[in-house]
Amino acid sequence: MKSSFDEKILDEAHDWASSNQKVVLATVIQTWGSSPRQVGSRMVVNEKGDFSGSVSGGCVESAVVRECIELIKENKPCKKIEFKVSNESAWEIGLACGGEIAIYLEQIN
Amino acid sequence: MKLETLKEILKKKSSKTEFAIITNLKNGVSEIFEPGKSLSEEFENYKKYIENFFSLKKNGVIENSEIFVETYIRPIKVVVVGAVHIAQYIVDFAKSLNFEISIIDPRGYFASEQRFPDMKIINKWPDEAFKEIKTNENSALIALTHDPKIDDPALQHALNNKFYYIGALGSKKTHENRCQRLKESGFNEEQINSIHGPIGIKLGGKSAPEIALSIISQLISETYKK
Repeated sequence: MKSSFDEKILDEAHDWASSNQKVVLATVIQTWGSSPRQVGSRMVVNEKGDFSGSVSGGCVESAVVRECIELIKENKPCKKIEFKVSNESAWEIGLACGGEIAIYLEQIN
Repeated sequence: MKLETLKEILKKKSSKTEFAIITNLKNGVSEIFEPGKSLSEEFENYKKYIENFFSLKKNGVIENSEIFVETYIRPIKVVVVGAVHIAQYIVDFAKSLNFEISIIDPRGYFASEQRFPDMKIINKWPDEAFKEIKTNENSALIALTHDPKIDDPALQHALNNKFYYIGALGSKKTHENRCQRLKESGFNEEQINSIHGPIGIKLGGKSAPEIALSIISQLISETYKK
Protein backbone atom coordinates (compact mmCIF):
# COMPACT_ATOMS: atom_id res chain seq x y z
CA MET A 1 0.00 0.00 0.00
CA LYS A 2 1.64 3.22 -1.12
CA SER A 3 -0.82 6.03 -0.69
CA SER A 4 -0.61 8.11 2.45
CA PHE A 5 -3.27 8.21 5.09
CA ASP A 6 -5.88 10.88 4.62
CA GLU A 7 -5.21 14.14 6.42
CA LYS A 8 -8.33 16.13 5.59
CA ILE A 9 -6.34 19.22 4.54
CA LEU A 10 -8.41 19.51 1.37
CA ASP A 11 -11.58 19.62 3.48
CA GLU A 12 -10.12 22.52 5.43
CA ALA A 13 -9.04 24.28 2.23
CA HIS A 14 -12.58 23.93 0.97
CA ASP A 15 -14.11 25.29 4.18
CA TRP A 16 -11.77 28.28 4.23
CA ALA A 17 -12.21 29.07 0.53
CA SER A 18 -15.99 28.72 0.82
CA SER A 19 -16.06 31.32 3.58
CA ASN A 20 -14.55 33.86 1.16
CA GLN A 21 -11.02 33.63 2.46
CA LYS A 22 -8.12 33.84 0.05
CA VAL A 23 -6.51 30.44 0.26
CA VAL A 24 -3.31 28.84 -1.03
CA LEU A 25 -2.62 25.11 -1.11
CA ALA A 26 1.03 24.09 -0.69
CA THR A 27 1.83 20.54 -1.82
CA VAL A 28 5.09 18.57 -1.66
CA ILE A 29 5.60 17.50 -5.28
CA GLN A 30 9.18 16.17 -5.23
CA THR A 31 11.67 15.05 -2.63
CA TRP A 32 15.37 14.14 -2.88
CA GLY A 33 17.33 12.36 -0.19
CA SER A 34 15.99 12.28 3.34
CA SER A 35 12.93 14.48 3.70
CA PRO A 36 10.43 14.51 6.53
CA ARG A 37 7.17 14.44 4.58
CA GLN A 38 6.29 12.40 1.54
CA VAL A 39 5.11 13.60 -1.87
CA GLY A 40 1.47 14.69 -1.66
CA SER A 41 1.78 16.15 1.87
CA ARG A 42 -0.12 19.40 2.16
CA MET A 43 -0.58 22.67 3.94
CA VAL A 44 -3.35 25.19 3.52
CA VAL A 45 -2.61 28.88 4.18
CA ASN A 46 -4.89 31.94 4.21
CA GLU A 47 -4.12 35.62 3.64
CA LYS A 48 -3.71 36.26 7.38
CA GLY A 49 -1.07 33.53 7.64
CA ASP A 50 -3.27 31.00 9.47
CA PHE A 51 -2.25 27.54 8.36
CA SER A 52 -3.06 23.88 8.81
CA GLY A 53 -1.18 20.74 7.80
CA SER A 54 2.53 20.39 7.06
CA VAL A 55 5.08 20.02 4.28
CA SER A 56 8.09 19.26 6.51
CA GLY A 57 8.74 18.55 10.15
CA GLY A 58 8.35 22.23 10.98
CA CYS A 59 11.59 23.21 9.22
CA VAL A 60 10.24 25.25 6.32
CA GLU A 61 6.60 25.98 7.21
CA SER A 62 7.24 29.61 8.22
CA ALA A 63 8.88 30.32 4.85
CA VAL A 64 6.04 28.57 3.03
CA VAL A 65 3.47 30.72 4.84
CA ARG A 66 5.36 33.88 3.76
CA GLU A 67 5.50 32.68 0.15
CA CYS A 68 1.79 31.89 0.19
CA ILE A 69 0.86 35.34 1.51
CA GLU A 70 3.03 36.88 -1.22
CA LEU A 71 1.29 34.79 -3.87
CA ILE A 72 -2.08 36.13 -2.64
CA LYS A 73 -0.78 39.74 -2.58
CA GLU A 74 0.61 39.48 -6.11
CA ASN A 75 -2.51 37.55 -7.15
CA LYS A 76 -0.54 34.90 -9.00
CA PRO A 77 -2.17 31.53 -9.69
CA CYS A 78 0.77 29.28 -8.81
CA LYS A 79 4.48 29.03 -8.02
CA LYS A 80 7.06 26.32 -7.38
CA ILE A 81 9.58 26.71 -4.56
CA GLU A 82 12.47 24.52 -3.46
CA PHE A 83 14.27 24.05 -0.17
CA LYS A 84 17.71 22.54 0.25
CA VAL A 85 19.84 21.44 3.15
CA SER A 86 20.29 24.18 5.72
CA ASN A 87 23.42 25.60 7.23
CA GLU A 88 22.49 25.43 10.88
CA SER A 89 24.87 28.15 12.03
CA ALA A 90 23.39 30.66 9.60
CA TRP A 91 19.79 30.27 10.80
CA GLU A 92 18.62 30.07 7.25
CA ILE A 93 15.47 28.28 6.27
CA GLY A 94 16.16 24.76 5.11
CA LEU A 95 15.94 21.11 5.97
CA ALA A 96 18.16 20.00 8.81
CA CYS A 97 17.73 16.39 7.72
CA GLY A 98 19.82 16.93 4.62
CA GLY A 99 17.08 16.38 2.07
CA GLU A 100 15.60 18.62 -0.59
CA ILE A 101 11.96 19.26 -1.34
CA ALA A 102 9.98 20.99 -4.06
CA ILE A 103 6.68 22.55 -3.02
CA TYR A 104 3.95 23.73 -5.33
CA LEU A 105 1.80 26.66 -4.26
CA GLU A 106 -1.57 27.28 -5.88
CA GLN A 107 -4.40 29.66 -5.14
CA ILE A 108 -7.91 28.32 -4.84
CA ASN A 109 -10.15 30.49 -6.96
CA MET B 1 -6.99 25.04 -8.45
CA LYS B 2 -10.56 26.01 -9.04
CA LEU B 3 -12.94 25.82 -6.07
CA GLU B 4 -15.25 23.70 -8.26
CA THR B 5 -12.46 21.16 -8.82
CA LEU B 6 -11.83 21.05 -5.07
CA LYS B 7 -15.55 20.44 -4.45
CA GLU B 8 -15.52 17.62 -6.97
CA ILE B 9 -12.44 16.05 -5.33
CA LEU B 10 -14.14 16.07 -1.92
CA LYS B 11 -17.28 14.55 -3.44
CA LYS B 12 -15.23 11.75 -4.98
CA LYS B 13 -13.43 11.18 -1.69
CA SER B 14 -16.66 10.86 0.28
CA SER B 15 -18.14 8.47 -2.29
CA LYS B 16 -15.00 6.31 -1.83
CA THR B 17 -14.07 6.41 -5.50
CA GLU B 18 -10.48 5.88 -6.60
CA PHE B 19 -9.14 8.75 -8.69
CA ALA B 20 -6.13 10.98 -9.26
CA ILE B 21 -5.70 14.74 -9.28
CA ILE B 22 -3.52 15.88 -12.17
CA THR B 23 -2.01 19.34 -12.21
CA ASN B 24 -0.10 21.23 -14.86
CA LEU B 25 2.52 22.91 -12.68
CA LYS B 26 3.20 25.57 -15.34
CA ASN B 27 -0.25 27.14 -15.29
CA GLY B 28 -1.98 25.63 -12.25
CA VAL B 29 -4.70 23.93 -14.30
CA SER B 30 -5.89 20.77 -12.59
CA GLU B 31 -8.41 18.09 -13.33
CA ILE B 32 -9.61 14.75 -12.04
CA PHE B 33 -8.48 11.53 -13.65
CA GLU B 34 -10.58 8.40 -13.47
CA PRO B 35 -9.92 5.18 -15.37
CA GLY B 36 -11.86 5.12 -18.62
CA LYS B 37 -12.64 8.84 -18.50
CA SER B 38 -11.27 11.01 -21.31
CA LEU B 39 -8.83 13.80 -20.47
CA SER B 40 -8.78 17.37 -21.70
CA GLU B 41 -6.29 18.39 -24.39
CA GLU B 42 -4.01 19.78 -21.71
CA PHE B 43 -3.30 16.29 -20.33
CA GLU B 44 -4.22 13.93 -23.19
CA ASN B 45 -0.57 13.43 -24.27
CA TYR B 46 0.36 12.19 -20.79
CA LYS B 47 -2.49 9.70 -20.46
CA LYS B 48 -0.20 6.65 -20.58
CA TYR B 49 2.01 8.02 -17.78
CA ILE B 50 -0.94 9.11 -15.67
CA GLU B 51 -2.47 5.64 -15.94
CA ASN B 52 0.83 4.14 -14.87
CA PHE B 53 1.02 6.35 -11.74
CA PHE B 54 -2.61 5.51 -11.01
CA SER B 55 -2.12 1.75 -11.24
CA LEU B 56 0.96 1.93 -8.98
CA LYS B 57 -0.92 4.19 -6.51
CA LYS B 58 1.98 6.59 -6.83
CA ASN B 59 2.26 10.35 -6.32
CA GLY B 60 4.80 12.47 -8.20
CA VAL B 61 5.86 14.53 -11.18
CA ILE B 62 5.93 12.70 -14.52
CA GLU B 63 9.52 12.58 -15.74
CA ASN B 64 10.56 15.32 -18.18
CA SER B 65 7.26 17.09 -17.73
CA GLU B 66 5.50 19.60 -15.52
CA ILE B 67 2.60 17.30 -14.72
CA PHE B 68 1.97 16.31 -11.10
CA VAL B 69 -0.13 13.25 -10.32
CA GLU B 70 -1.68 12.51 -6.94
CA THR B 71 -3.55 9.24 -6.49
CA TYR B 72 -6.39 8.73 -4.04
CA ILE B 73 -7.17 5.23 -2.88
CA ARG B 74 -10.29 3.96 -1.22
CA PRO B 75 -10.14 3.83 2.58
CA ILE B 76 -9.43 0.40 4.01
CA LYS B 77 -12.47 -1.43 5.33
CA VAL B 78 -12.09 -2.46 8.95
CA VAL B 79 -14.78 -4.59 10.56
CA VAL B 80 -14.90 -4.44 14.34
CA VAL B 81 -16.84 -7.20 16.05
CA GLY B 82 -18.03 -6.10 19.46
CA ALA B 83 -19.33 -2.61 20.22
CA VAL B 84 -17.31 -2.63 23.43
CA HIS B 85 -15.39 0.08 25.28
CA ILE B 86 -12.18 -0.49 23.25
CA ALA B 87 -14.19 -0.15 20.03
CA GLN B 88 -15.22 3.38 21.03
CA TYR B 89 -11.55 4.42 21.08
CA ILE B 90 -10.77 2.54 17.87
CA VAL B 91 -13.50 4.59 16.18
CA ASP B 92 -11.93 7.79 17.57
CA PHE B 93 -8.42 6.93 16.33
CA ALA B 94 -9.68 5.78 12.94
CA LYS B 95 -11.26 9.21 12.35
CA SER B 96 -7.86 10.69 11.56
CA LEU B 97 -6.71 7.68 9.50
CA ASN B 98 -7.79 6.27 6.16
CA PHE B 99 -9.89 3.47 7.68
CA GLU B 100 -13.59 2.95 7.17
CA ILE B 101 -14.97 1.24 10.26
CA SER B 102 -18.06 -0.98 10.45
CA ILE B 103 -19.16 -2.39 13.78
CA ILE B 104 -21.02 -5.65 14.23
CA ASP B 105 -22.67 -6.57 17.50
CA PRO B 106 -25.82 -8.65 17.92
CA ARG B 107 -26.22 -7.40 21.50
CA GLY B 108 -28.52 -4.38 21.34
CA TYR B 109 -27.39 -2.85 24.64
CA PHE B 110 -23.81 -2.55 23.34
CA ALA B 111 -24.67 -1.44 19.84
CA SER B 112 -26.51 1.71 20.87
CA GLU B 113 -26.42 5.01 19.02
CA GLN B 114 -25.71 6.82 22.25
CA ARG B 115 -22.44 4.88 22.67
CA PHE B 116 -21.45 5.30 19.03
CA PRO B 117 -22.86 8.55 17.67
CA ASP B 118 -22.74 8.90 13.86
CA MET B 119 -21.60 5.30 13.46
CA LYS B 120 -23.34 2.61 11.51
CA ILE B 121 -23.61 -0.42 13.77
CA ILE B 122 -24.95 -3.65 12.36
CA ASN B 123 -27.03 -5.12 15.15
CA LYS B 124 -26.98 -8.70 13.80
CA TRP B 125 -25.02 -11.91 14.20
CA PRO B 126 -21.81 -11.94 12.08
CA ASP B 127 -23.12 -14.40 9.45
CA GLU B 128 -26.05 -12.08 8.72
CA ALA B 129 -24.08 -8.86 9.17
CA PHE B 130 -21.38 -9.79 6.64
CA LYS B 131 -24.07 -9.98 3.96
CA GLU B 132 -24.33 -6.19 4.32
CA ILE B 133 -20.58 -5.47 4.10
CA LYS B 134 -18.59 -6.12 0.96
CA THR B 135 -15.24 -7.51 2.05
CA ASN B 136 -12.17 -8.93 0.30
CA GLU B 137 -8.42 -9.40 0.79
CA ASN B 138 -8.08 -5.65 1.41
CA SER B 139 -10.30 -5.81 4.47
CA ALA B 140 -9.36 -6.13 8.14
CA LEU B 141 -11.10 -7.73 11.12
CA ILE B 142 -10.79 -6.76 14.76
CA ALA B 143 -12.65 -9.24 16.97
CA LEU B 144 -13.25 -7.84 20.44
CA THR B 145 -16.04 -9.77 22.16
CA HIS B 146 -13.95 -12.85 23.16
CA ASP B 147 -17.27 -14.65 23.09
CA PRO B 148 -16.84 -17.62 20.74
CA LYS B 149 -20.47 -17.42 19.65
CA ILE B 150 -19.86 -13.95 18.21
CA ASP B 151 -16.12 -13.88 17.40
CA ASP B 152 -15.72 -17.31 15.83
CA PRO B 153 -18.13 -16.91 12.88
CA ALA B 154 -16.51 -13.54 12.14
CA LEU B 155 -13.01 -15.03 12.26
CA GLN B 156 -14.12 -17.82 9.95
CA HIS B 157 -15.56 -15.31 7.49
CA ALA B 158 -12.32 -13.29 7.57
CA LEU B 159 -10.15 -16.39 7.04
CA ASN B 160 -12.32 -17.65 4.19
CA ASN B 161 -12.21 -14.23 2.51
CA LYS B 162 -8.45 -13.84 3.06
CA PHE B 163 -8.56 -10.59 5.04
CA TYR B 164 -5.04 -9.07 5.16
CA TYR B 165 -5.36 -8.39 8.88
CA ILE B 166 -7.22 -10.48 11.44
CA GLY B 167 -6.83 -9.80 15.14
CA ALA B 168 -8.67 -11.22 18.11
CA LEU B 169 -8.78 -9.94 21.69
CA GLY B 170 -8.23 -12.35 24.55
CA SER B 171 -5.54 -13.84 26.76
CA LYS B 172 -3.03 -16.43 25.52
CA LYS B 173 -5.22 -19.14 27.01
CA THR B 174 -8.36 -17.78 25.32
CA HIS B 175 -6.46 -17.64 22.06
CA GLU B 176 -5.21 -21.22 22.40
CA ASN B 177 -8.78 -22.41 22.86
CA ARG B 178 -9.87 -20.32 19.90
CA CYS B 179 -7.15 -21.83 17.69
CA GLN B 180 -8.23 -25.30 18.75
CA ARG B 181 -11.85 -24.59 17.78
CA LEU B 182 -10.79 -23.23 14.40
CA LYS B 183 -8.63 -26.31 13.84
CA GLU B 184 -11.61 -28.52 14.58
CA SER B 185 -13.63 -26.48 12.08
CA GLY B 186 -11.11 -27.42 9.39
CA PHE B 187 -8.80 -24.40 9.19
CA ASN B 188 -5.13 -25.18 8.61
CA GLU B 189 -2.16 -24.09 10.68
CA GLU B 190 -1.09 -21.34 8.30
CA GLN B 191 -4.55 -19.79 8.38
CA ILE B 192 -4.78 -20.01 12.17
CA ASN B 193 -1.29 -18.56 12.62
CA SER B 194 -2.23 -15.56 10.49
CA ILE B 195 -4.56 -14.41 13.28
CA HIS B 196 -2.98 -11.83 15.57
CA GLY B 197 -3.83 -13.13 19.01
CA PRO B 198 -3.57 -11.79 21.60
CA ILE B 199 -4.29 -8.73 19.47
CA GLY B 200 -2.13 -5.59 19.31
CA ILE B 201 1.53 -4.68 19.64
CA LYS B 202 3.10 -4.75 23.09
CA LEU B 203 2.80 -1.27 24.55
CA GLY B 204 2.28 -2.38 28.13
CA GLY B 205 -0.92 -0.36 28.55
CA LYS B 206 -4.00 -1.83 30.11
CA SER B 207 -6.70 0.83 29.72
CA ALA B 208 -9.25 0.76 26.90
CA PRO B 209 -7.69 3.66 24.92
CA GLU B 210 -4.21 2.14 25.35
CA ILE B 211 -5.37 -1.24 24.04
CA ALA B 212 -7.18 0.51 21.17
CA LEU B 213 -3.94 2.33 20.31
CA SER B 214 -1.95 -0.91 20.36
CA ILE B 215 -4.50 -2.52 18.00
CA ILE B 216 -4.54 0.44 15.61
CA SER B 217 -0.71 0.46 15.63
CA GLN B 218 -0.59 -3.19 14.64
CA LEU B 219 -3.20 -2.59 11.95
CA ILE B 220 -1.18 0.27 10.45
CA SER B 221 2.01 -1.78 10.56
CA GLU B 222 0.33 -4.68 8.73
CA THR B 223 -1.27 -2.26 6.26
CA TYR B 224 2.16 -1.03 5.17
CA LYS B 225 3.42 -4.60 4.76
CA LYS B 226 0.80 -5.23 2.09
